[in-house]
Amino acid sequence: MSWEKELDEKVSREKLSENLGGKDRVKKQHDAGLYTVRERIELLTDKSSFSEVGKLAGHAIYNEKNDLIDFKGSNFIFGKARIDGRNVIVGGDDFTLRGGSADASIKEKHLKCEQMALSLQLPLIRIVEGSGGGGSVKTIETSGRANVPEVEGWNLVVESMGTIPRVALGLGSVAGLGAAHLACSHYSVMVKEKSAVFVAGPPVVEQIGQKLTKNELGGYEIQLKSGAVDDAVDTEEEAFDAAKKFLSYLPNSVYQLSDQITSKDDPKRTSEWLIEAIPKNIKSVYKIRPIIEDLVDKGSFFEIGKEYGKSIVTGFCRLNGWPIALMASDPYSYGGCWTSDTCKKVQKFVDLAETFHLPVIYLVDCPGFQVGLDAEKKGTIKEGVRAMSAIWQTKTPWMSIIIRNCFGVAGAAHKRGSSYISRFAWPSARWGSLPLEGGIEAAYRSDIENADDPKIELQKITTRLNKLRSPLRSAESFLIEEIIDPRHTRRIMCEFADLSAPLRKTGITNRTMRP
Amino acid sequence: MIYSEVSGTISKVLVSRDQIVEKGTDLLIIECMKMLIPVTSKNRGKIIDVYVKENDIINEGAKLIDVKYNI
Repeated sequence: MSWEKELDEKVSREKLSENLGGKDRVKKQHDAGLYTVRERIELLTDKSSFSEVGKLAGHAIYNEKNDLIDFKGSNFIFGKARIDGRNVIVGGDDFTLRGGSADASIKEKHLKCEQMALSLQLPLIRIVEGSGGGGSVKTIETSGRANVPEVEGWNLVVESMGTIPRVALGLGSVAGLGAAHLACSHYSVMVKEKSAVFVAGPPVVEQIGQKLTKNELGGYEIQLKSGAVDDAVDTEEEAFDAAKKFLSYLPNSVYQLSDQITSKDDPKRTSEWLIEAIPKNIKSVYKIRPIIEDLVDKGSFFEIGKEYGKSIVTGFCRLNGWPIALMASDPYSYGGCWTSDTCKKVQKFVDLAETFHLPVIYLVDCPGFQVGLDAEKKGTIKEGVRAMSAIWQTKTPWMSIIIRNCFGVAGAAHKRGSSYISRFAWPSARWGSLPLEGGIEAAYRSDIENADDPKIELQKITTRLNKLRSPLRSAESFLIEEIIDPRHTRRIMCEFADLSAPLRKTGITNRTMRP
Repeated sequence: MIYSEVSGTISKVLVSRDQIVEKGTDLLIIECMKMLIPVTSKNRGKIIDVYVKENDIINEGAKLIDVKYNI
């Protein structure tokens, strides 16, 4: 008496499940330059670490004697795996089976995957292709009735945004619920020229008179600029590397803290060139990324959302081995002014840092909010106050270093009200309610208009006011705590990382973040 | 094709049609929010066409310069 026979049948069913959508479909996937979902999971995770859950779940065909003729697995595969030795949950759509749509899906698998990650408090990586288990028009026929729209289990997705890191990789055409899963993440990546993301694809959009290719509708250039997706890379392998790198800065869940790693970069390293990094000509711009790269532990800066809300650069880095959330103004985009998109980017990034207890460092060069008709049409002030509120709601340790401009309401968002932050300024810092360049004509209109030579009068006023705006005069009144030598900035940032580490507290934030 | 990433005024056009440019060459300068922002060439290339002139007011996304790269 043995159970070998039953076990053999289980193994044979599992083998059938590994055939995915069949040889032809798999070939089609490969011919398109794409990996299958099983290959993707293997490439993403540590060797032989994937323990699948529900490999026996699928769609079986029996003969009249009730013997199994054929079996196809569900088109969503998930389980526990390891990434760089650390436990994670991975779930992926199988595009070779009905394009990942609900027709070949077992929705309970999606739910269980979400529940598993949330309950075990482990990061979740979703590999998305197709409609992510969403319905298609054909669903009405296969099910014999129309669905009242419902996204079962979305409560788990929402809860996990405030609890565990969620990474989503869009590796092909992604539409409907698939696009929703991609967007509902802390970090999302697509592959250039291979991925396209949209609410509905070209055939549907053509019905409203827009004849567009996949790329024109939802290619990476569209989705990165829109902020729907964070990053794009050239290959699927690079997408897996990006996911791993992102996760390396975060704890498994909000109930843990990120670890310090051994840094080979001297925390007291000085950088001579930083004394001249900011041009003396206030109209000239400079490149912020080399400054960031120089200040953080060598090679540790991981930028997130480079193409969106570009007047702020956001990303993770390490300082003396501690993970830090870093924001920095980029004067190449609107002179560093906060646009509506920038404000939305700040909201998400600050929420991300707060959720996973990463201290924030902000290198400030913000002349204010973007002004003008475009800015008003995009509701900049509304998004601006939301960004400010996100900053004010943080409790994570915060450091701001004003490296140049800090003006107006957006400038004030370098700190959070009256609560303590570590604040420093470079000698190149300038601040006020409004940059002089934009405000003298308005503030001194009658003086200028009534002068014999308005041009000379304007010059005289400008020279007079310029003398007053030295940061040293503000320091006299203790409006700024410290003016530092830019060359020593790294040491100060590393000290902040060391001081902040024991202050980090685990747990869920009062207001959990939205995607 | 190079499109403008900001709205503003064309302060200077530094290249002309058929000119060969190197990677990192400033092609034009846009004045935006009182700052002078250069638009640079991402690679070595040839200027096919220039769609703006000095003092033009441009919106974000405006067509600026057509460059043929990797010549």
